[in-house]
Amino acid sequence: MSRFFRGGDDSSTESSSDEEELYSTSEEEEEEEQEEQESSEEEEEEEEESSDDEAGAQKKGLSRFLVDQASSESEESDVEGTTKVKSAKDKRFEELEATITAIQNGQKINDWGSIANEFDKLNRQVVKLQDGGKAPKSYIKCITELEDFLNETLAKQKVTPKKMNATNARGLNAVKQRIKKNNKDYQSQIDAFRQDRDAFMESDEEEAPLPKPTKVKFQDSLAPEEAADEEEKGFARVDKRGKAIPFSPESIQKHLRAILESRGRKNTDRLEQIRIMEELNKVAETPYLKIRVLQTLVSARFDLGSGTTTSMPLEHWKAAEKELRALLALLETHKDHVVIENAEEWDDDEKTPVLGPDDKYIKVPGSVVSYIERLDDELTRSLQSIDPHTSEYIERLTDEASLYNIILQGLLYYETIQKDASLEVPQESLNRIIQRRLDHVYFKPAQVVKILEENSWKQVSSSIDSTITPRSLAGDAAKLVHTLCSYLFENSEGIIRARAMLCQIYFLALHDEYYKARDMMLTSHLQENIANFDIATQILYNRTLVQVGLCAFRRGLVYDAQHTLQDICGSGRQKELLAQGVMIQRYSQVTPEQERLEKQRQLPFHMHINLELLECVYLTCSMLLEIPLLAQTGSSPDIKKRVISKTYRRMLEYHERQIFTGPPENTRDHVMQASKALAAGEWKKAIQFIHSIKIWDLMPSADEIKAMLAKQIQEEGLRTYLFTYAPFYDTLAIETLSSMFELDPAKVAAVVSKMINHEELAAALDQVTETVIFRKGVELSRLQSLALALSDKASALIETNERTLEVKTQGSANAFSRKDGRQGGQRGAGQRTGRGGARTGGNTQRQAGGTQFTGGALGAAVRA
Amino acid sequence: MASAPTANGGTSLSQYDLVLKLAQHLDRHMIFPLLEFSASQLVDEERGEVKDDAKAREITQAKYALLKKTNMTDYVADLHCELEGLKEPPAEFANKKQRVFSQLQKYEQETSKIIELLERDDVVNNLRSDKVANLEFLKREHEVTIEMVNALFDLGNLQYSCGNYADASEMLYRFRVLSTDNDKVTYATWGRLACEILTMNWESAMEELQKVRETIDSKLSQNPLAQLQHRTALIHWALFPLFNFEKAREPILDLFFSAGYVNTIQANCAWILRYLTVAVITNRGRAKNPGVHQKQMKDVVRIVKQEAYEYQDPVTRFVHALCIDFDFEEAQRQLVLAEEVLRSDFFLLAHADSFVDSARHLIFESYCKIHARISLKDLSARLGLSADAAEKWIVNLIRDTRLDAKIDYKEGTVVMNHPPSSVYQQVIEKTKGGFFRTQVLSAAIAR
Repeated sequence: MSRFFRGGDDSSTESSSDEEELYSTSEEEEEEEQEEQESSEEEEEEEEESSDDEAGAQKKGLSRFLVDQASSESEESDVEGTTKVKSAKDKRFEELEATITAIQNGQKINDWGSIANEFDKLNRQVVKLQDGGKAPKSYIKCITELEDFLNETLAKQKVTPKKMNATNARGLNAVKQRIKKNNKDYQSQIDAFRQDRDAFMESDEEEAPLPKPTKVKFQDSLAPEEAADEEEKGFARVDKRGKAIPFSPESIQKHLRAILESRGRKNTDRLEQIRIMEELNKVAETPYLKIRVLQTLVSARFDLGSGTTTSMPLEHWKAAEKELRALLALLETHKDHVVIENAEEWDDDEKTPVLGPDDKYIKVPGSVVSYIERLDDELTRSLQSIDPHTSEYIERLTDEASLYNIILQGLLYYETIQKDASLEVPQESLNRIIQRRLDHVYFKPAQVVKILEENSWKQVSSSIDSTITPRSLAGDAAKLVHTLCSYLFENSEGIIRARAMLCQIYFLALHDEYYKARDMMLTSHLQENIANFDIATQILYNRTLVQVGLCAFRRGLVYDAQHTLQDICGSGRQKELLAQGVMIQRYSQVTPEQERLEKQRQLPFHMHINLELLECVYLTCSMLLEIPLLAQTGSSPDIKKRVISKTYRRMLEYHERQIFTGPPENTRDHVMQASKALAAGEWKKAIQFIHSIKIWDLMPSADEIKAMLAKQIQEEGLRTYLFTYAPFYDTLAIETLSSMFELDPAKVAAVVSKMINHEELAAALDQVTETVIFRKGVELSRLQSLALALSDKASALIETNERTLEVKTQGSANAFSRKDGRQGGQRGAGQRTGRGGARTGGNTQRQAGGTQFTGGALGAAVRA
Repeated sequence: MASAPTANGGTSLSQYDLVLKLAQHLDRHMIFPLLEFSASQLVDEERGEVKDDAKAREITQAKYALLKKTNMTDYVADLHCELEGLKEPPAEFANKKQRVFSQLQKYEQETSKIIELLERDDVVNNLRSDKVANLEFLKREHEVTIEMVNALFDLGNLQYSCGNYADASEMLYRFRVLSTDNDKVTYATWGRLACEILTMNWESAMEELQKVRETIDSKLSQNPLAQLQHRTALIHWALFPLFNFEKAREPILDLFFSAGYVNTIQANCAWILRYLTVAVITNRGRAKNPGVHQKQMKDVVRIVKQEAYEYQDPVTRFVHALCIDFDFEEAQRQLVLAEEVLRSDFFLLAHADSFVDSARHLIFESYCKIHARISLKDLSARLGLSADAAEKWIVNLIRDTRLDAKIDYKEGTVVMNHPPSSVYQQVIEKTKGGFFRTQVLSAAIAR
């Protein structure tokens, strides 16, 4: 195989696996052909001709080849520099020539020792110079002459038993053995050379760089039918002169084979091939041929975009989409034709397969799901490269509807063929296509999905219905997603299953089903093993997590929202974790390879979660939790360490360091100034700041959210006020508090009661006078609080020691299980609560609470 | 498990009726008492009349549907007559009875030998703890086959189905001694548990419960779904001893609060929360260790809070109002409702009074914790008592619990005194066990 062929293969490592299969099969075929080539010596003449045909089909003329080569090389071998390649090649040729001369010299003086050495060298060199299985002409000439000379020498030796010296004899034997084996490989070329030395050498210049797909099998089948052969030759000649090619239905299969075999090679002109196939498609008559042509055509179009960075040209995408649609329609009307992965290759180019008496189907090898996946990927890729703020992006996005339609039709197709058990359609194909469908649905609001679904169904004839997702589901997005997900959940495993789960959670969270989403997230246990999944799934996990957090926020569950968002937003790498932009990394070196991979992972813009909104939600939640906490901890040293959000604290500190604070400009400023106001007890100002953040408008039902926030700020303001100013009061009337914070007196009483009960506030209520009485003498002196802190630390130390020992002894030393009655994991928690004060008790309680499904996907998502 | 169409209790509280939900996880024989109870609630106690004919008929129908599949033919025949208004049961019942009877006899014949053997002292004395060896021994000496052992199982099954629980239990016990078939032993254990529950033999029921629990934990650890289902069933079955047998309380509460079962309740059967809450609240003062009770109470509050979106009834709402929202008025309202719910619940009927009493304690406790001065009048309203009764109640309470509180009669108030916990006391508390624990630690290392 040619060097260029390999190069092409390398550069397309990103292509889907089925494509690789195609590559490998074509490779194998080629090998096969080569083997056959050895045996078919007498057909050499014809072969030569056919290869001309071949070249003609690919190029308008051989003469253009040389001119073309350089440019096509630079086009496609983006890894290796063009000029370098050329000079290296020339150098090798020179070396080859030098070796050949050395051999010729050796022949003259009958020095078999040096001939043997040079011959080995020659064979090594020529491997590098082979082009499409063809060795350079000069090499052929050399080995042919060498063989002749060898035979001559052997014959001479028999006649005149003149002793050769030892080195010479050894060299002679070595060459004798090797040349036989070696020349077999080039037998056809050698024969050609022998027949007509001059002609062979003449064609040399032109032939050498040409990747020459050899066509022995093709020849075999040609032989019996002379008529067709004639026609073929005629067509080829016409072609050479650059005229239009007449295509006939009979020749379709040959064309297709030719095209398939040249696939993935260096110097093929793909556009030209596509053009040919478009023509073929017009003349194809039987459904079988049509299916074959469409398949090849679609794959050829995909080849256009096989580079890793470039996406497929728009018109070709559209054309591919149309052709896929045609293919699916064809399969629908001709139910006796099926395209399945496990069908056997049809080898006979002359006949099209017909339905046998005991066959139910004509099976065509191929994978519809792979085509659809590829189409989907290409759309994503082009969306990635288009600037999302242009109308072009929106235009391109409209193609998603037609893509979705194709996915739907593909799904219907797979459903129909799966009904027949004899076809043995793997479950995996159906899973894959359902996964694709889900991927287009899960992040969209229900109304959008509804429209999408309805439009897609409109294009499917009304007699067809899906068994998995009946037509009646089209109007109900939630049910649709549920059906798709549960189907995948039942029928798949591993990553697809996890993805289905995440998609469903995402969808639920998007539609404000917080508890359902959270419970699913918890029962999935994905947070434990998400690090083992691939990066795309980890990104989906992060997205889902964020969506659940936002959902909690919309429900007014500030604590849960903050906790859920903590890992993603607290990391400061939201962009990377959600695949919504590449971070500029200052200190770590990123190889271009990594950068490219990362770029590939980016989500198209329409799938993005608004990062500013996310930050705004996160900061607001942090404010609501942190400000009362800051007020509570005040100056006492032992609880100062409790930090809910480091990011928020850092921002707050930075904001406080500023000497002059202007009016707030961005979201962050707004939240920071609101925090400051809240800390000072000016809750109304805080509400104002928060409400003036514009991004709330992006939320559905923004007014409700603002109202919810106002309520939360009122309450937290009250708490902050009580924490901050408690030391300065003896009593405080509930009435006063209630008017100050515009809260219901009962509500105030409830808040105060809660604080008293949790021992956050040293006070008691007087029911008769409706006042809060603050207890005196609870403020600790510095020494006292330090003593408390010390005792806390001491008991923590003992506990750690105990735990360490328990781990080391595998829990066998039960010295520490004091009569607790609990089993297993309960024990630890029980002890801690029993011993620690109220605060630690509260802590364990929170930890045991259900909302902790964070962690996991963090670093791995980016680093890997 | 039966999923018979069960009718609701049919009072105004029917929305809180759990029979339907419980029935999904109970054996059909266990649902029967629940239905009986529902039926009895329909009967007006004073006049002895059925209040709601349609409902009563529905329940009878449910009973019929429930028991049709069992072999209690006589009773089913009676029910059928009642439903259809017939005097004589149709012949099919007699036939069935005959069939069951003959089957019973067949099994009894098959097992007579082995039963006889097991009653002989010389045989029993030769049995060891090794089941395989036992079976070998019996085979060798007395020609007992494995089929005979399995016949014991079948006989037990049939007897259970006929409502002959005591005998069934005995059969299953014998079977379990001899059988080496693990699956069947598990079934037999479940079967015995059912029998013991139905014969109200609580002590041995507790033993069986423990055995079932162990098998669930050990055998099903590879199959989370089955484990969940089995645990759910076990939780439901355990309700019978929980509310009927005083000694069962502690271990069953322990069971419910162990990690796996708490998760099961939260994931699969949130309605159990009602029973859990009632059990914990009424357990007040009865628990040997007040620390344990406090911890359980805390857990209950946590779970109630977490599951509030999924399950709510007056009992959980009471806890929510009292311990999470600190809304005493709401708590009082819910308490009244909760009492009604309790009185119409099969399991909780007997505990309604003690629940109300304990709940009042609970209200008062948290009230005192928060307030420094309470008006007596107000408090009596909160507790749902008359002013005099409230005063008496409070005096009793202060005396019993040694609360630091006084009644100011003139003002009509109760005055609490909350001594702030001294810092020195706190430090002492925290460092109390340190020396001992360190000693234990060093001893353990030295070993």
